Amino acid sequence: MAELVESADKRHHLASMLMRESLLDKEVQRSTDMPVFRMLPDTHVIKIGGRSILDKGRSATFPVVEALATCLATHKLIIGTGGGVRSRHVFSIGIDLGMPTGVLAELAEADALGNAHILGTLLAPYGVVAIPPHIFGHLLPLFIRTAPGVIFTAVPPYALWEHPPAVGRIPPHGSDAGAFLLAECFGSMDLTLVKDVDGLYDQDPKHHPTANFIPQISATEIRKRELETLPFERILLDLLDHARLLKQFQIINGRKPERIRRALAGEHVGTLVYAD
Amino acid sequence: MRNELLSELGCYLVEGSLSDARVLAKTGQEPPLPILPKANVIKVGGQSFIDRGRAAVFPLIEEIVENLGRHDMIIGTGGGSRARHAYSVGLDLGLPTGVLSVLGTYVSMQNARMMNYLLAQYGIPFIEPVQFAQLPLYLAERGAVIFFGMPPYTFWHENPDVGRIPPHRTDTGAYLVSEVFGAKSMIFVKDEEGLYTADPKKDRHAQFIKTISVAELKVLDLQDVVVERPVLDMMVNAKNRRSIRVINGLKKGNLTRALNGEDVGTLIYAD
Repeated sequence: MAELVESADKRHHLASMLMRESLLDKEVQRSTDMPVFRMLPDTHVIKIGGRSILDKGRSATFPVVEALATCLATHKLIIGTGGGVRSRHVFSIGIDLGMPTGVLAELAEADALGNAHILGTLLAPYGVVAIPPHIFGHLLPLFIRTAPGVIFTAVPPYALWEHPPAVGRIPPHGSDAGAFLLAECFGSMDLTLVKDVDGLYDQDPKHHPTANFIPQISATEIRKRELETLPFERILLDLLDHARLLKQFQIINGRKPERIRRALAGEHVGTLVYAD
Repeated sequence: MRNELLSELGCYLVEGSLSDARVLAKTGQEPPLPILPKANVIKVGGQSFIDRGRAAVFPLIEEIVENLGRHDMIIGTGGGSRARHAYSVGLDLGLPTGVLSVLGTYVSMQNARMMNYLLAQYGIPFIEPVQFAQLPLYLAERGAVIFFGMPPYTFWHENPDVGRIPPHRTDTGAYLVSEVFGAKSMIFVKDEEGLYTADPKKDRHAQFIKTISVAELKVLDLQDVVVERPVLDMMVNAKNRRSIRVINGLKKGNLTRALNGEDVGTLIYAD
């Protein structure tokens, strides 16, 4: 039924639902809201913090690796890594040298890639390795059916095309955003962010010992409370607003590594942040 | 103990939280360096331009050639009718936005390749995102490069507010190139004089808008606009490229006038 349509406007159209339409028309956009196909519904996306886990070395990383290894027997894991403190360092040097946001985003990918290989080395005995970013998305379905898990560079491939942020120059799409977007696109069962705090508090628990723990909260409520800091990237709140498949994520404490297994089993062991 | 190797900003970034607005504010105190301040980014429309075939494209190619040596040009391509077809099929099959983004990339890549072959005898290369490190060399040597307009988000493309079509397509990809390089101009080559109050192809009473700010445009809340809406949002946050121009490339001379900095088409600017 595909056919070429010569129209009065002298453009050569291919017959389709969107033929001749402006994709910027709001009515056309609304007409495209249809149910989404889940590619990998039995997989779990889990992001291991850079600064919070891997940068701390053996004491924090080995127990997390052990916990992940235990879960590999029963769960298909898509494991992401961020850049940690090396990204913070390259941001500070880059900003000092006048680099724009897109260049900082390009630089940050390298640190996450390094951490993916660190984790890949430790999980190699279990058949889990870091996959190069340029083939990862296309080959993920193959890899996840042939290995118990895969590791990816969670900083998404926005690079020079990173969006300019409202404030300052730090790339808004970091490794939390990359893990979220991947889980959303592939229709994974859940997203777990492994950090070094139990979850979200009403104040930064590292500086305020009396901070109150928040076991679950909506994106809107977080915005309303105007919390000064969050243990995850702020852009996740916007991504949750627009999510079609992934309606919540959980932040857990990797310093209590048994929580990794429990979170993957669907238990509530940290802070659940959900879309309204 | 203070780390002597870290600058004050370095200490904030290493020790602070990137979700803290006070830390973020410190990263915006100095403006970024314009990397290619003499270059112009030009986006050639897919449906509006390349899909018209030789009648539209050949005169534009001629005009690009005339400007070689006078203006550095980074030329991005749109998708167009085949992207709409791929999106339609993909939507019907329930494919997620990230996969539709991959499909759109392939179409704008086809258009980039064709533009590339039309300019091949002048030594103008087509570069993919991984080759952008060579862009300054090609620009210095040949005065122009071709790239595909889709930003390389692929499976990591954000969902739109409404519907399922990838919101950051070729207008956005081209615009972000102009912003990150601190380019001299961002010129969208389309088949209309510029921005109208409605789609002039469908509404005979549509009024032409010569100059407008993003804030004014938001107030108008038009049903249809000539550039992807995320470009408007990004212009407000932009550090370098805070205006864009939309021109009718079907009229010979318009591109040259825009490159010369003349007021042709519609200028949209962030206040």
